[in-house]
Amino acid sequence: MDLIFLSPLLFLLGTATILWPKSLEMAAHYVGMMFAAVGSAVLLYKSGLYLISAGVLESADGWLVTGRWGSYSLNADLWSAPFLVITGLAGFIISLYGMDYAKGYRGNGLRALTGQWNLFLLSMVMVLLAGDAFTFILAWEVMALVSFLLVNHESSKKETVSAAYQYMIMTHLGTAAILVAFYILGSGVGSFSFTAFCNNKLPADVKHIVFCFAFAGFALKSGLMPLHVWLPNAHPAAPSHVSALMSGVMLKVAVYGFGRFVFQFIGIDTLWQGGLVMTVGLISAFLGVLYANMEKDMKRILAYSSVENMGIIFTGFGCGMILKHLGLEALSLVAFTAVLVHAFTHSLMKCLLFMSAGCVMHATGSKNIEIMGGLAKKMPWTAFFTLIGSMSLASLPFTGGLVGEWLTLQSLYTLAVNGGDEIRLLVVFGLILMGLTGALALGCFVRLFGVVFLGRCRSKTIDKAHEQPFFMVLALGIEAALIIAVGIFPSPLVAAMEGIFTGGNAVVPMATDFALLWSGTGNFYNQLSAYCPIIFAVIGLALFGLCYLSIMGNTLVRSEVTWNCGTYPTARQQYSATGFSKPLRRAFDFILKPRREKVYLEKEHDYFGRIMRFNLFVPDRFTDRLYHPIEHFMVRISSTLLMIQQGSVRLYIAYTMIAMVAVLLWGVM
Amino acid sequence: MEYLVVFLILVVFLQTRIMELHRATYLLAVQSAIIAGSCVIVGVSSGGGGFHAFLPGLLTLGVKVIFIPWAILRLIGEIKDESEINSNINVNYSSLAAAFFLVMGYILADRLLPGTIGRDIFAATFLTIMTGLTLIVMRRRAIMQIVGLITLENGIYFFGLLMTEGLPLIVELGVFLDVLIAVVVLVILTGRMRLSFMTTDTGVMRKLKG
Repeated sequence: MDLIFLSPLLFLLGTATILWPKSLEMAAHYVGMMFAAVGSAVLLYKSGLYLISAGVLESADGWLVTGRWGSYSLNADLWSAPFLVITGLAGFIISLYGMDYAKGYRGNGLRALTGQWNLFLLSMVMVLLAGDAFTFILAWEVMALVSFLLVNHESSKKETVSAAYQYMIMTHLGTAAILVAFYILGSGVGSFSFTAFCNNKLPADVKHIVFCFAFAGFALKSGLMPLHVWLPNAHPAAPSHVSALMSGVMLKVAVYGFGRFVFQFIGIDTLWQGGLVMTVGLISAFLGVLYANMEKDMKRILAYSSVENMGIIFTGFGCGMILKHLGLEALSLVAFTAVLVHAFTHSLMKCLLFMSAGCVMHATGSKNIEIMGGLAKKMPWTAFFTLIGSMSLASLPFTGGLVGEWLTLQSLYTLAVNGGDEIRLLVVFGLILMGLTGALALGCFVRLFGVVFLGRCRSKTIDKAHEQPFFMVLALGIEAALIIAVGIFPSPLVAAMEGIFTGGNAVVPMATDFALLWSGTGNFYNQLSAYCPIIFAVIGLALFGLCYLSIMGNTLVRSEVTWNCGTYPTARQQYSATGFSKPLRRAFDFILKPRREKVYLEKEHDYFGRIMRFNLFVPDRFTDRLYHPIEHFMVRISSTLLMIQQGSVRLYIAYTMIAMVAVLLWGVM
Repeated sequence: MEYLVVFLILVVFLQTRIMELHRATYLLAVQSAIIAGSCVIVGVSSGGGGFHAFLPGLLTLGVKVIFIPWAILRLIGEIKDESEINSNINVNYSSLAAAFFLVMGYILADRLLPGTIGRDIFAATFLTIMTGLTLIVMRRRAIMQIVGLITLENGIYFFGLLMTEGLPLIVELGVFLDVLIAVVVLVILTGRMRLSFMTTDTGVMRKLKG
């Protein structure tokens, strides 16, 4: 047996800790988390080796894993490898984090939490390893159910339960769509194994139907708009390490499934498929970050940011599909590389930020950023690592977040240059929206970091805040270090991800004229990075030197309280989170439609003696305009159907009788 | 045989008009007696006589003509309230439905089984079956529904007899045992219902809905 099978085995053993007696609760938790961490590490090691050696292909037949047991089969190829690496890495780091974090659930279903944690990891690995539709759907369904249980962990809270059930309904709709896609494929091929699917001879329009169902199903799991509604509710409801794993890994598993459909089962034979994927991705990216700017709940901000980043990933995917359809094979590989690179880096940074949100919640007991402030003094390490994660999510240079986004933008640009007239308009809009997305993401994370960690304390909740236990900070530190490492030396990552498509060979155009676009020099692979941080460093140093020189002369330093029209500045005078995003709310009023509610509790005079309550609420427009009408429609239909269910036996007999007469008459006709 | 069929149709039509429970039960007994007579005729004409030819007729006589009406009449005897025994509802719809089913029976007989000798018998059995169902659906009194059930059962039994010209003995015994037990249970339940709800109107059962 291959070493990689050790990993699911360890997860299974970890799941078994759920059966330990209550008195050994803490031991069960530690052992379970150790199993999860070691299992993930094994997975990371094996799949990482396989990924890096993609050109050599050490294993005899080119599979990472292959096996068959009755109607179940496992197959993992190069397309599974990056996602296995993502799972292994995130699973390892978050399990370390969870070891300390989940201690807060002691006496409150801790064993269940740890056991389900292992099962969740196991199900995701099985989805990635599945070699036929049956195994895939089985693992997919286990993944959905276990994540539902994990989201529902704090089931004493009402909003948690409603979020969890919303998630369950949505995810089952997605599963249904994927099932339909598999069913159409399977009935056309006569087998459910992925190898058979690859060689299908289905007519083109059937393939288009399969594509639509697969895209709907996987887009739902990735949280693309307008199928994202479960995501901003489920993530805040789940325990933080679970949200980190869901956002960091589970959303990427959907990208994996979608990629398998597109590359192997359906093929890319029309333009509109890529166009659709790209449009949906762009809308998700832009609206996701816009809504992230409006939220006050730390984890909801991160959840909407996940929508944004999945949007960017799918934009890159759609871009690659269009390029491939146009016959620009080499350029499309860059776009698909961008997808994988961004999936990887997004996993890093979103895990980091969700864990950091967990730290903040742990320290203050709240997710509302309006009542925080000045946490950097109390939790310096957390603050520092969060800063790195925030910078990365805002795609600043020297962080991992830039690499993927840069590659995506470059692909869009090559599409604009080479794509021809039909799609130029789409690409121009795409570039504008991507630009806006980047700017808004910067604003969003400046706001998040500034309001939570900088400034003055806004309320008493901060007083008892303290730095977090060792393992939690360690996990944050590892992620932050990786983000910086990827940001400064992205080349190995990019090369490994590219090797998936090229079998380890360098893509041709990058070494020629196009390399000018990528790195500023003629040769891509001799550079350290895809976007040449040296240039950034030089520019940065020059700017810094300029500023330094201009300030040099004035060495007079006086310490004074900030001038504030004669009053002493208080915490209430700093920018609040709501205030910070006010300009955006005004600018995008027509999209967001915020609801403002003013109530005068006391009003002596028009100008003084007033006490006012002001409520600002930014509704999710998709919920209002799409889901509520559907919901009302369904309820109306159901109550209409209820009319025939009167609970009267005589009526039911009458139905039988009418049916009988109808059948007889029909037989006579 | 033809006379019996005409009588059967007449009796079934009458059943749809009668609301008084005693008379309905007597009619049921008459109807069962007609069925018993037909059984004997069919038995004699198809099989060469013997015990088996008379057994279904005797069983029908014993169970459906004597025992079941007796049990129902006993139950009615316990009901003191006059409004329970007589109820005024519009019976015209049931009669109309019966007429419709008779026509439909003839159409079915012509279209589905062309050239059958027992065309009239088929129509009559179809009428009996469907009228039994109509009684169950359109009457609210539990006892009337029992009468409907027995009518339905009679129709099905007669139809089976016509089609197969004599069933195996064990099947016939089973069918009669079924009917017997169903009626016993129904009579007991109706009695309980009268005690609990002070009425045999099945409309009150809707209160039990969760």
